[in-house]
Amino acid sequence: MSLIDYTKFRLKPAEEVRGTFKQINRIFILSCAKCYKIFEEENEEEYTHLLDILGEDHKKIVGHAMIDFLCNNFLSEKRILNLDLSNCDSVGVISCGLGVQFVAKLLEGKPVYTLADSVQQSGNSTTEIGYHGISLEEEKCAGCSQCYLNLTGGICPITNCAKGLLNGPCGGATDGKCEVNSSFDCAWVKIHERLKKRGEKFTLESVQIRDYSRPSLKLKSDLSLQNQTLRGEGFYGGLHPLEKKGKTADKKIESFPEPKIAVIFLSQHAGRRAEPSVRLGDKVKVGQKIGEADGFISSPIHSSISGKVISIEERIHPAFQRKDLAIIIENDGGNKFDPLIQPYKDFENLPKETLLEIIRERGIVGLGGAMFPTHVKLSPPKKIDTLIVNGCECEPYLNGDNRIMIQHPKEIFVGIRIIQGILGVERVFVAVEDNKLEAITTLNKFLDKSSSVEIVSLKTKYPQGAEKVLIKRILDREVPSKGLPLDVGVVVSNVGTVFAIYQAVVEGIPLFQRVITVSGENLARPGNYWVKIGTPFKDIIEYCFDKKGGGFLEEYELKMGGPIMGISQTSLDSSVIKGTTGFIVLRKPPVKVSEERDCIKCGRCVEVCPMQLYPLYYSLYGRKGEPGKAIKYNVEDCMECRCCESVCSSKISLLSFIKQEKEYACSSNKA
Amino acid sequence: MLVVQIKPEEEILPKISSKRLFIFECLGCQEVYFPTEDVEKFIDNLKEEIVGKASLDYLCNREFVKEYIERYSKQIKKAQILLVFSCGVGVQIVSSLLEDKIVYTCCDTLYLNGFQGLTVQEFNCDQCGECYLNYTGGICPIAQCPKHLLNGPCGGSQNGKCEVDPDIPCVWQQIVDRLAKLGRLDKLEELVTPRNWSVSLISEPPVKRFP
Repeated sequence: MSLIDYTKFRLKPAEEVRGTFKQINRIFILSCAKCYKIFEEENEEEYTHLLDILGEDHKKIVGHAMIDFLCNNFLSEKRILNLDLSNCDSVGVISCGLGVQFVAKLLEGKPVYTLADSVQQSGNSTTEIGYHGISLEEEKCAGCSQCYLNLTGGICPITNCAKGLLNGPCGGATDGKCEVNSSFDCAWVKIHERLKKRGEKFTLESVQIRDYSRPSLKLKSDLSLQNQTLRGEGFYGGLHPLEKKGKTADKKIESFPEPKIAVIFLSQHAGRRAEPSVRLGDKVKVGQKIGEADGFISSPIHSSISGKVISIEERIHPAFQRKDLAIIIENDGGNKFDPLIQPYKDFENLPKETLLEIIRERGIVGLGGAMFPTHVKLSPPKKIDTLIVNGCECEPYLNGDNRIMIQHPKEIFVGIRIIQGILGVERVFVAVEDNKLEAITTLNKFLDKSSSVEIVSLKTKYPQGAEKVLIKRILDREVPSKGLPLDVGVVVSNVGTVFAIYQAVVEGIPLFQRVITVSGENLARPGNYWVKIGTPFKDIIEYCFDKKGGGFLEEYELKMGGPIMGISQTSLDSSVIKGTTGFIVLRKPPVKVSEERDCIKCGRCVEVCPMQLYPLYYSLYGRKGEPGKAIKYNVEDCMECRCCESVCSSKISLLSFIKQEKEYACSSNKA
Repeated sequence: MLVVQIKPEEEILPKISSKRLFIFECLGCQEVYFPTEDVEKFIDNLKEEIVGKASLDYLCNREFVKEYIERYSKQIKKAQILLVFSCGVGVQIVSSLLEDKIVYTCCDTLYLNGFQGLTVQEFNCDQCGECYLNYTGGICPIAQCPKHLLNGPCGGSQNGKCEVDPDIPCVWQQIVDRLAKLGRLDKLEELVTPRNWSVSLISEPPVKRFP
């Protein structure tokens, strides 16, 4: 594999640089850390070179900053404006022309000098520049907007012929080499050879007169604008994956058949695992507590069916993907409810402490996936002024929250009132992405206009539902690095959790079932289902896909959660837990790209990171085996949305490096 | 930033009519701009027999494409025409890997300002090889003036707008304004040596540094 170094600039000739330094007294140097080259280490080649050239004059440099992707105007603006430039009379920029123009505009009051020349990429003498793709191959495209490759056997004469000829060879080539520069092959000779191999011929009849007015400026500016708008919509970064929600968006929530055997894990929440409170052979009823919370940050577990405890054993936990303790219950088909499940008629008058106790006892945890015990979240140590109810559901395929909002709006508003009472907050926002119009309309219909609840419709973009992103978007508050929403006076709660709170407090029902979306490819019964916690994945596949479990995992990838953040499953014996938002089945990619390739600094991970981080450094240090260095790139702020991993042009498993780094950061913090 | 558009039907359909097709679809830059839905619609409407389809990220990455070609070798063998949905780079990669196959592209490619960098933005850089920005207050007349004038305005602009396209500002007007703001209008009186056009016209071929 040979890759090309597409670095876009080099330092200007020494004399020119010295000439520039004659004109200035105190200069601040900004250098771009380059792009489109193999990323092996942080290097300051150009800057060191500059110092060499300058000799004594280097004393005129009052400061230096290396900035990754200087042309990324959003991030660079932040970083440059944070620099102390008061001490200098001018700014020198080492970057391609984009970076220089950007800095010159940003710092309009200060002379900005370029210290570098851009490097031509086309390597021929045409007037059209060839642009490489995302990866570092030799082939280039001029972006001429009227592709000629169908006539020329897939070899581009525009970027490869020194004369840019479109109607055949000039006749000047010798031995297949170009007469302009004999180190190049003649593009037209190559075209003829290629066409011969394909059994085709180049005929002049097929050549049309080129339309040099294309691409029109209007089209280009429209597309630029569209691209910029999409990119910058609402928050920095993020993706617009195909939504694929149509399959289940209109499907009413149905009850999923009861499992014959329920596998109920004792760890279905953040914090300490629950302690089993039943023994082998015990008879249990629906909603009966079978696991006791162990400590403050923990949550009790309830049986979802009536039957007999046949085993307490380890199974593969769907979230951790390692063995963890579960209570196995055999269904007796009686569907007998625990007598303790009783509605609280006067819940409106219950004191805050009792409500929290009910929420705790009923095993309510965050249903958005993180499974943080709700009673803990609702007892914040700081003053809260705003509640955001999160109905974004930004992952493709999923519709569970969407359906809850459509089918249970009244209950959601009651749930909100309960939380308002507990937290003592007035202001409430219900955030819904604008691809869920029906949900927005329904909520608005049942909204008590006199209340302080506001429904906000947000432009669809992944990961809109991440709490820090939501807070920034709705309240324009920035959660501090390593901080929590409560640090800025906000509690964010998933709409499913709000509904569960309603059920717990008003109906007295513990969390033993939840709504999940089953969707994906090739399924017979996609839908939204009320599923009992503990229903084995095997049952779901048999019901929804008309397939037996055998061999299934070889052909399909099973994700608990959405297709982006969801956790790939390795065992069909795992079961639905409180944090299962969906169950997505996707065909495995036909080709497993065998090895990860070098990072080529394409910068796409930086462009999509909603937390404005620089993920490429995590893989750089991770691969080098230098843990701890990523901390200076704020690895702890990563919320694992996987945007970077899904766009990585070298298919690097960035998330695994990030997790490593986070663990390292966490353990070193403790130490 | 390279973006693609689907070619007009009348340009592509006659070429492929009643042929067996294999389709390559690039998903790489779709996050930037790729009309994935249009592509799917186009494919759905094809009447020709489709013997297989490979959708992959970054068709411009030769190594990825090789692996897919291997995986689909049987179908590719059966196909008479390989149809590619990608930018010009992807098409060239596929045709260079399958030299004896007829490869057609369904897309036209264009680039947006700021392409050689990472984000679409108002600036452009023609990579001319001899940066002029020190004389012009950091505004590039080469990339932004339709006449590529280097020695001052052509005199045709009106109210600060370009005479070629009144929607765009006159770059030389902007340069003068910027320099005036900096109090450095004298910069424009400096004598600048003639440009060395050979830097941009015939430059070194790109360096292969990573064998």
